[in-house]
Amino acid sequence: MVGPIYIIAVALGTAFSLGFFKKANVKFSFAFMLLAMTFMTFISGQWLYAFLTQQQETIQIFTAGFKPPFSISLQMGFYEAVFLSIINIVGLLSAIYMYDKLKEKGVQMMMVFVLLFMGLNVVVMTRDIFNLFVFLEIASIATAGLIILDKSANAISAGFKYIIATAIISGILLIGIIAVYYYAESLYINDIINSNLSFIKGGAVAVFLILIAIVLELKPFPANGWALDVYEAAHPGIGTIVSAASASAVIFVLTKILPIVGESGYYIIGIIGIITFLGSNLLGLKQNTTNRLLGYSSIGQIGLLLTIIGLTPYLGDKTLFIAFGVLISHALAKAGLFWLSGIINSKNIKGWAAIRRNPHLLVLMGTFIFALVGFPPFPSFFAKWELIMQLANNDKIIWLALILIGSFIEGVYLFRWFGYAIKGENQDLPEFKIQWNKIIPVIIFALGLYAIGYYYSTLTGSAASLNYIPLLFILFLYAIDFLPVYIKNTISIAGIGYYLYTIYPGLEEFNLIFALIFLAGGILTLLAGYTYKGKRQGFYPLVMMMFAGLLGLIEANTTLEFFFAWEIMTIGSYFLIIRGKKSMTHALSYMLFSVGGAYLILAGFGLAHIGQSSYSLDILANVQGYAPIIFTLLAVGFMTKTASIGLHIWLPGAHAEAESDVSPMVSAILLKAGVFGLIVLMLRMGAQSFGSFDIYYALAWIGAITAIMGNMMAAFQEDAKRLLAYSSVGFLGYALFGLALMSHLGWLAAVSLSVIHFMFKTLLFLAIGGVVMRVKTKEMYKMGGLIKKMPFTFISVLMGIIVISGVPPLTGFGGKWILYNAVLDKGWFLPAGAIFFAGIIAFLYCFRLIHTIFLGQLKDEHREVKEAPFWMLLPQYIILGVIMIFSAFPNSLLKPIGEVIMPYFSDGALEWQGQLAVSNFGYWNGELIMYIVGGIFVIVFAWLWFMNRNAQKVKQFNIGYSAERPSLPETTHFAYNFFAPYKKALGFLVSPIISDFWEAVSEGIHAIADKIRRIYDGNAQTYVLHIIAFIVIFYLIAFGGSYGI
Amino acid sequence: MVKNILIFIVLIGFAVLLANVFVGFKGNSELNTLANHYAVSGPEEVGSANLVTAVVVTYRGLDTLGEVTILFLSAAIVSFLLKIETSASRKRKLRTTSEILDTASKILVPVTLLFGIYVFINGHLSPGGGFQGGAIIASGLVLMLLSQPAKEVSHKLITIVESISGLSFVLIGVAGVIFAAGFLDNTLLSLGKFGTIFSAGLIPVIYIFVGLKVGAELSGIIANLQENQNEV
Amino acid sequence: MEKFNLENISLVIGILVILIGLWGLLTQKNLIKIIIGFALFDTGIHIVMVSIGYIKNGTAPILDNAVDINNAANAVVDPVPQALVLTAIVIGLGITALMLTYVLKMYQKRKSLEINNYNDLKW
Repeated sequence: MVGPIYIIAVALGTAFSLGFFKKANVKFSFAFMLLAMTFMTFISGQWLYAFLTQQQETIQIFTAGFKPPFSISLQMGFYEAVFLSIINIVGLLSAIYMYDKLKEKGVQMMMVFVLLFMGLNVVVMTRDIFNLFVFLEIASIATAGLIILDKSANAISAGFKYIIATAIISGILLIGIIAVYYYAESLYINDIINSNLSFIKGGAVAVFLILIAIVLELKPFPANGWALDVYEAAHPGIGTIVSAASASAVIFVLTKILPIVGESGYYIIGIIGIITFLGSNLLGLKQNTTNRLLGYSSIGQIGLLLTIIGLTPYLGDKTLFIAFGVLISHALAKAGLFWLSGIINSKNIKGWAAIRRNPHLLVLMGTFIFALVGFPPFPSFFAKWELIMQLANNDKIIWLALILIGSFIEGVYLFRWFGYAIKGENQDLPEFKIQWNKIIPVIIFALGLYAIGYYYSTLTGSAASLNYIPLLFILFLYAIDFLPVYIKNTISIAGIGYYLYTIYPGLEEFNLIFALIFLAGGILTLLAGYTYKGKRQGFYPLVMMMFAGLLGLIEANTTLEFFFAWEIMTIGSYFLIIRGKKSMTHALSYMLFSVGGAYLILAGFGLAHIGQSSYSLDILANVQGYAPIIFTLLAVGFMTKTASIGLHIWLPGAHAEAESDVSPMVSAILLKAGVFGLIVLMLRMGAQSFGSFDIYYALAWIGAITAIMGNMMAAFQEDAKRLLAYSSVGFLGYALFGLALMSHLGWLAAVSLSVIHFMFKTLLFLAIGGVVMRVKTKEMYKMGGLIKKMPFTFISVLMGIIVISGVPPLTGFGGKWILYNAVLDKGWFLPAGAIFFAGIIAFLYCFRLIHTIFLGQLKDEHREVKEAPFWMLLPQYIILGVIMIFSAFPNSLLKPIGEVIMPYFSDGALEWQGQLAVSNFGYWNGELIMYIVGGIFVIVFAWLWFMNRNAQKVKQFNIGYSAERPSLPETTHFAYNFFAPYKKALGFLVSPIISDFWEAVSEGIHAIADKIRRIYDGNAQTYVLHIIAFIVIFYLIAFGGSYGI
Repeated sequence: MVKNILIFIVLIGFAVLLANVFVGFKGNSELNTLANHYAVSGPEEVGSANLVTAVVVTYRGLDTLGEVTILFLSAAIVSFLLKIETSASRKRKLRTTSEILDTASKILVPVTLLFGIYVFINGHLSPGGGFQGGAIIASGLVLMLLSQPAKEVSHKLITIVESISGLSFVLIGVAGVIFAAGFLDNTLLSLGKFGTIFSAGLIPVIYIFVGLKVGAELSGIIANLQENQNEV
Repeated sequence: MEKFNLENISLVIGILVILIGLWGLLTQKNLIKIIIGFALFDTGIHIVMVSIGYIKNGTAPILDNAVDINNAANAVVDPVPQALVLTAIVIGLGITALMLTYVLKMYQKRKSLEINNYNDLKW
């Protein structure tokens, strides 16, 4: 094998010989340099390979033929090999990426480039502390040189700030080193470790100086203004190097010198880390400049890494797994994003809308963003999972909370940026061109993330059973994305159908019910997809991702599988939602509530895992302490998906703006994931209370209030789809209420209402979607009289609202009837009154839906409107058929559900006598009611027909009868502000208090961020002052107690 | 003003910190183990009379290589940044030099250069070495440029000297790996008679290259800065 | 008076030079003066380094006529800090050269040496 010393020799030899070429042959010089970088990568790679496969032992390289401490020695071990490989690969790809820039700027910068990487390599390998200093200096000077690559005024002044700051930092490092030399009488790191300087007066402070200088090289908040300016001003390729390669090297140095410091070092590092993580991400919120935003995010990620290193005593042997997962995700994703930034070339993040001119670039960007935030299947996901589990296990709840808060904030700005890229206005943005040398490195790193993510999941014991088949199916769909819709739609339906068929025999209980909602529902809604023409680019992989997630929830046996599936579902649904028209802000708020909810779930699972060795979901049934907190965390987490009041603000916009067939998916199906989560939770954890305060009673109230508010807001909407969206909020309020009753009937109501809601909401969203498709507006007052134009749709909607409003004879009534019985059973009359009241309000919006859209006068511009397309109607009528069966034979639906519930809640079950259901309070016969209502309908209809048979039919636009052409301004239209009187009376209830609340929270945090970031005033002196003050403050924190000042 | 008070307070804190770093400093009455080894075994292992040189060039040779690299980097960056793109149309306002300076420099420059060479050749015997010698050579150049500001310095020559000497340094290092005990092992050449000019193995050779390299690099930096002077 | 020996005095002077350098670096508004502040800071560190390696009554670690080769260990000062300081000086030189070059270029672009004129990048 080629010795590591040749890394130095080759790099230096190349740098020195490049001088011979000068301007004459730049291309040749570049090739020469690239060869050197390749060779360096090869050396580190072959060592890594040897360590991985051949049980290679760590080797020491002695220079000058003397053993340390007399001469400088280098070390090549497994971890060195790993870090060197990362650094050199970043270097090699960066060189390729910067090909044209380096060629333009000439050989000097190529020398600097090679030497930078040589410096980083030695920094990783050296075991001599002064040698470390020298090669760190090489790296910083080389970086300072690359910063001014563009020679722009900003770059040069950023370079100046960088030099001043790093010079001061290395000066401090030098003071520490010389003092350590005095106390330890050696410069060899192993000797210094053995002399236990922490216990020597003065020695401890000397060691502290070394530690803090290395930490300062990692740009901790707030002593990092100089680094941010560099990220902003330098070429994005340099951003990659600084953030991925240099940071990795310095992190490695930190782990190398931590043993010198001893235990106390971890504490300091942890505090600095968490401050940096929170602070940097907070300030990132106000950032609109792409590269600076990436800078904030980089520093934040390094802060997280520092936190993890600082928490080593608690994370134990998992530290490495966690830290490396975060590091590799950060390095690859940040490198990728910086590189993309160089391709898109937009200073402002809003300009990234241009990226979607090439959807594949968008996929790459999405990969990096999701990897940074820690979504599956990336290594950061598994690392974060393990981190939270370990922190919970060690009772480090505050650390756990702070880390999740920081991650959340990072998610906010990253997804806002991503939102601009997907949805922002891109008409007037300049074109960008993609060169092969710029795109290949990006692709390699994106693929690397997936590969390492997969490898990581095999390392996590409990993740071994993760089901990757659906994800492979998604990949397949991505690969065939160029095919027309009908082929992909068929493949998707077949895929879901086949999967359902294979898993069906193994399903039982709630899993079966929800599997049918999720997957049969998926097939039904996909049928509507045949309506679309063309390719519908990107749609199918995303839909399948959501269904893969939902499926994963059903199949999950462990908390990790459950969480994995939950996150996959979130990704899929996010993309589906953001595909809608004006959906940028809604998708963002959906994502933020989802990420926030997911973190609550993660924290809940973490706490539940305390004292458990298994990861099975059943540990929830046997938690060791914190039970009410765990329950609350998980319940609130799931309620972000059921959109309970307070957490609902993402829903209306998201559902209303989605495409016609997506609305039913995200409304009728996706929301049930939350219900499923709650069921999983409640079944295992049972009754919970804080002292004497019953959590379920609170949930019941939340359900009741959600029902009222949801329905009321639905009644006041002008937008038909928004109305339906709010109606979902209300209906899930019922379901939550039912579950909270914790009785047989309550659960029967909740589960059957979930099934029913799935059916009628699919029905209505498809029907209204069909209408919207034809009339090209969602505002109800712009519609009217469509009954003749769209009779089939009319029947759908009519049936749908009968179900919603819970009047006989359709199934909605059955659900309500059971719910009221359940309430009587439980005796919670106050919230029950609210539920009852909510039911009345439901009539209002139901009436409006049918009346405003289908009755009244046809609008002039709708005279040519046609019935909805066949493929939209087909699923509606399938559902109608099922509704009819369930209505006439309610026991076909309710009896199986009742049997599922029976083992858990047996008291007060319904007794079935044929179609007659008997409860403790009364009885109900669905079949009979169906006949009676049907009979009444026939009689009334016959009578009306008989009475009106002589009436003359008048066309609407028959001037003779209408007298004038109805062309009223919209505000005077009868359907506008339809329930004005009610609004006057009750409107205050629906004033957007909740949205205002969240908005105020967000505004407040942004304002704070804006204030704090003013400390970066752009002045090099201020930055140096920050550095010195940072040292002094942490000196006081570390030694304040132990030394007299 | 407020800011200055703040700076003052921070510096007081820093002073306290520095005081505490050296609170355990009691001076040395004898060499520590490491230094003792250098003093006792150094002459025999390395053969250099100047122990500092032994440490700099051999024991800590990798540092020195790094050091040379840093100068090289600085020179490269300076020349990159100060590269003059339009040399033809460029106007420079140059000060005229006095007779005395002119005459003196004619005598002193060659002597200075010679002295520089002397210093790096004797680096293993007396105070001095490659860096010192190189710096002296560069100061000769400063004197020359002061007396003849319009003189064009050949950057080509500087680069070639720089590259050849740097490359030789690296090759000597690699030769150590292949033919001797490790990177930059100086015993590749025989150690010779202690205290004479041909002793200490490769140290004088290395120091010659270092001297040339440092001289070339510093000259390059100075020339670049000087050429950018008074640019209109 | 044990406290006022050579190494302590030079150590304290070194620390003072460090602090003075930092003060200049932090308070001066002229870029060149700021660089001079840095140079002082750097020099202060070098003085500290040399002080650390001093041995009472030791001489330069060069084994010439003044030092007996067999008694070298008891006659010379520690060569290591001297070697380190040599390296440190050269590094400091490189950094200072870079700073001056950057400032020269900044001055050429904006004709100002006032540090407050270079705050374009911030927040």
